[in-house]
Amino acid sequence: MDRKDIKKWFKAPGKMGHKYSLWAIYFCTGCGIIEIPPVITARWDAERFGVIPVATPRQANLFLITGYVSVKTLRAIIRTYEQMPDPKYAVGFGSCPINGGMYWDSYNTIKHLDKYIPIDGWIAGCMPRPEAIFVAVTHLWTLIDQGKAKAYVNYREKYKYYRENQERVLGKLDWPPLYSIGGGND
Amino acid sequence: MISALKNELESIFKDIQIFVPENSRLIISARGAMILTILNFLKDKGYDHLALISCTDWIEENEFELIYIISSYKADITPVGNKMPDEPVDQRAGVDNRLNIILKTRIPREDPRFITAIPVFENAEAYEREIHELFGIDFEGHPRLIPLFLEREYEIPPFRKDFDTRKYVKDFFDEIPFVENKEK
Repeated sequence: MDRKDIKKWFKAPGKMGHKYSLWAIYFCTGCGIIEIPPVITARWDAERFGVIPVATPRQANLFLITGYVSVKTLRAIIRTYEQMPDPKYAVGFGSCPINGGMYWDSYNTIKHLDKYIPIDGWIAGCMPRPEAIFVAVTHLWTLIDQGKAKAYVNYREKYKYYRENQERVLGKLDWPPLYSIGGGND
Repeated sequence: MISALKNELESIFKDIQIFVPENSRLIISARGAMILTILNFLKDKGYDHLALISCTDWIEENEFELIYIISSYKADITPVGNKMPDEPVDQRAGVDNRLNIILKTRIPREDPRFITAIPVFENAEAYEREIHELFGIDFEGHPRLIPLFLEREYEIPPFRKDFDTRKYVKDFFDEIPFVENKEK
């Protein structure tokens, strides 16, 4: 830890805690997941940045969506995202979640993931290098510091619209709404 | 050995065409329920591994083509070049020289129906379910033709040649608005 960070620790200990303990959920979708094992193990060692993978969504607050999202995967992604405790950060990894990538004209692949769940940031590329994950993580630190990583608040506030979009693709969802469907600030 | 099998098949089954494009491949074209009889016959011969059921949409000829690929892991029936049957088979060479038998049949596009191969090969179930949802072919006698991969209903099954993916994406995925735009 940097000495000049000490002031920040006293000013906003919560933020600093969130910054340096990002627990990434193991969620493998698409081809990008092949970049994750070297990232979390000895070669690149994500623990230097405080990123540790965990097994269940209820223990995680960082969600890396690593690749193309089929309609069936979208259902799992929404369920996983809704189970994660606040504050949570979602990062789209690779060009496919951004705009479909090479699956832009596929009959069963979601083109823009941020229509269905809120995303804090994107890592472009096909595939991005493992270093790109660390660039994203350090950028996420900046966003948390500045109070801009508020996608999960956005999700709560605009839940009605997100749910509408989700149901347009998946049909009637078989779990109850996470927040009030009125879309109010409750 | 491959020619012996070819002759035997030709003598038993009438009205089939057999091609041998290369040493490890035998292509049989047959009509209708004859396919199941041939599958049964070859299974008794020892070719007990159904590797794949596939489908091709020949839209210009107005037909679907179903393709069954069967093979065997037993070394003593694989026709490995000039090797004698009782000679020990190198497993790695055996993979390369294993005989793949490809059965092809055509069914009309207007009435896409065929008979299920589950009584002969049980693992045909998943393949037939996949073909049912992607090509819309009904397999008579299949116990559960429910969706396997797809979550949505499509007007035209998406692997048919007349399914326009770009139009579908434009009409469906692109029509869903961004949440920021919905606010306004």
